[in-house]
Amino acid sequence: MKKLRQSATVKRHVLIVDDEVVNREILGNILSANYAVEYADNAKEALEVLSKKDKQFALILLDLLMPVMDGFEFLKKRETSETLKLIPVIVMTSEKESEVNSLKLGAADFIAKPFDMPEVVLARCERIIELFEDQNIIRQTERDHVTGLYTRDYFFEYIRQIELWGSDIPRDAIVFDIEQFHLVNEFGGRSTGDQLLAKIGAALEKELAPMNAIACRADADTFYIFATHQENYDNVRNIVQGILTDFFEVNHIRVRFGLWENVDHNVEIEAWFDRAKAACDRNRGDLSQSFARYNNDMHARYMFEESLIRDLQSAIDNRNLIVYYQPKYNIEGDVPRLTSAEALIRWNHPTLGFINPSDFVPLFEGNGLIQKVDNFVWSEAAKQIRQWKESYGITVPVSVNVSRIDILDPELEAKLMRLLEENSLSPEEYMLEVTESAYCENMERLIEVIENLRKKGFRIEMDDFGSGYSSLNMITTLPIDILKIDMSFVRNMEKDERNLKLVELVAGVAKFLKIPAVAEGVETESQLNILKDMGCQIIQGYFFSKPVPPKDFELFIEKELERRRNS
Amino acid sequence: MITIEKLNTFGANTAEGLGRCFGNEALYLKLVATIPGEVNFDKLKSALEAGDLENAFLAAHALKGVLGNLSLTPLYTKVAEVTELLRGKTAMDYSASLAEILAKKEELGDLCKD
Repeated sequence: MKKLRQSATVKRHVLIVDDEVVNREILGNILSANYAVEYADNAKEALEVLSKKDKQFALILLDLLMPVMDGFEFLKKRETSETLKLIPVIVMTSEKESEVNSLKLGAADFIAKPFDMPEVVLARCERIIELFEDQNIIRQTERDHVTGLYTRDYFFEYIRQIELWGSDIPRDAIVFDIEQFHLVNEFGGRSTGDQLLAKIGAALEKELAPMNAIACRADADTFYIFATHQENYDNVRNIVQGILTDFFEVNHIRVRFGLWENVDHNVEIEAWFDRAKAACDRNRGDLSQSFARYNNDMHARYMFEESLIRDLQSAIDNRNLIVYYQPKYNIEGDVPRLTSAEALIRWNHPTLGFINPSDFVPLFEGNGLIQKVDNFVWSEAAKQIRQWKESYGITVPVSVNVSRIDILDPELEAKLMRLLEENSLSPEEYMLEVTESAYCENMERLIEVIENLRKKGFRIEMDDFGSGYSSLNMITTLPIDILKIDMSFVRNMEKDERNLKLVELVAGVAKFLKIPAVAEGVETESQLNILKDMGCQIIQGYFFSKPVPPKDFELFIEKELERRRNS
Repeated sequence: MITIEKLNTFGANTAEGLGRCFGNEALYLKLVATIPGEVNFDKLKSALEAGDLENAFLAAHALKGVLGNLSLTPLYTKVAEVTELLRGKTAMDYSASLAEILAKKEELGDLCKD
């Protein structure tokens, strides 16, 4: 960078303002070694040269005592001009008092008269130009263009600087976001959303300045604030909430705050805000409080989740992640027939023991790591199908989960095809489960991906059907091969009439679409009979078996083979 | 015509003056040759004669800068002295100092002419 800056082909323009020819010429002679030099007789003439805008000046060298308009007046005028302020001024003087005054008026440096040796003058000019250019680059990049607040990276960097000199001062990390902000963009368009964010940015900037606090927009509608500890942040909350209420002309769109008070200075700065954000994220739905504080319970949960995130890769490498299989039975005939299996992930952690999938699946779905888990399961399941095929001579089709993030993976189809090829399988032997909620988001993309997969021969199961918000109209247009009834409806259908009706409804939809319905979570014979009466063909649940390791699953295959032989 | 040798006899610190001009002798001598015609000597003279210390200071201050940059030491020293007195608006008889300055200027003027 330095080399590029000093390259002879980019000669910067420098303006010398002095009424004395001798001074001008001596200085001009020195500077013309590195710069394209222009001259002005006095400050008035200098302002004229600068106002032409045909040249960009990198530096102004200014004499103070001049006829017509002196250097002090020039400095005062510069203070009020946004464009002139971007050009550094070095004052040429021989008086100490003038040095102080001109520095106060915004001069970047001074050169004493008589001038120092040329090398010193040149070095000083170079240094000031470099400093100003760096400063201008920082000014251009440190702010988020939408809100005018710091960008995330600069925000953290400034905190690091502040911490260097005051790491014993109690500080707070605050994170806030706007509930349902995506609806603003969806209904009003991106520019409406940006307008709202800009209003919040401007108001924050004003409110935080006297609080000894700084803020950034970390992401979309998420803001971070770093502040010297104070009792509460009602002032900030009231201002942001006020903007929201004005903007929407309603008062139910809420701003949610997460706060970590008196941060631990030994913890990394980024983690202060991760923790405040964890508090913010858990602050959903509860309208009675807009501030959630990061506390011990949250800390324990946070640390637990952090260790899961940290250990995921080694769990894959060391095979602590294990794929279990739960059988699915066709109950149409008198004797249930094993039709297929669902692959389900289990984690046997070396220090934490068996981890409940509900502890890590939603976590990884939220941060995108689920893709790693899915890819692992896909590969294991494909190998397993092949192995059973080789050992028993039959295919047990296995369904695997395809998460929302996988749908966005441009490699999805290629990855799956590669797995099939490696294991000599055909797409019919491998089933893909997509949850209903994934259908509601980015519908067009999803339909496109799924249609392509179906064209290749994959069968698609819609998982957790009934838990999302699919309209009946939408369902008829969806490319699916199997509907899976949400487990919670099945479990509660005998206790609650509404759940029973819902199961009936879903089974009816499947019939209408002429596709099989699978019921999950079936635990009792009476549940099975109800489902059978409704025309539900396939059953999965503890009634037949919990998810089991591959070895144990082989018993079901052997039984099935025996049944086939006997019939 | 003025030369480095002549300036050395005059008492100028030519090494320093030349150094400030990046060793460009022609430029240095050209600038030195403008000094005898420098209007600020006249301004200084008339302002002092009229007792106008404000304008006398401005003229002296401008001269001081120029002479210093050219390292014309004998003239510079005198002008610098007077500049400081004038900055403080010291009421005194400046005629002797002025005469000395003008005499030195004449001396330089003669060297430039010869």
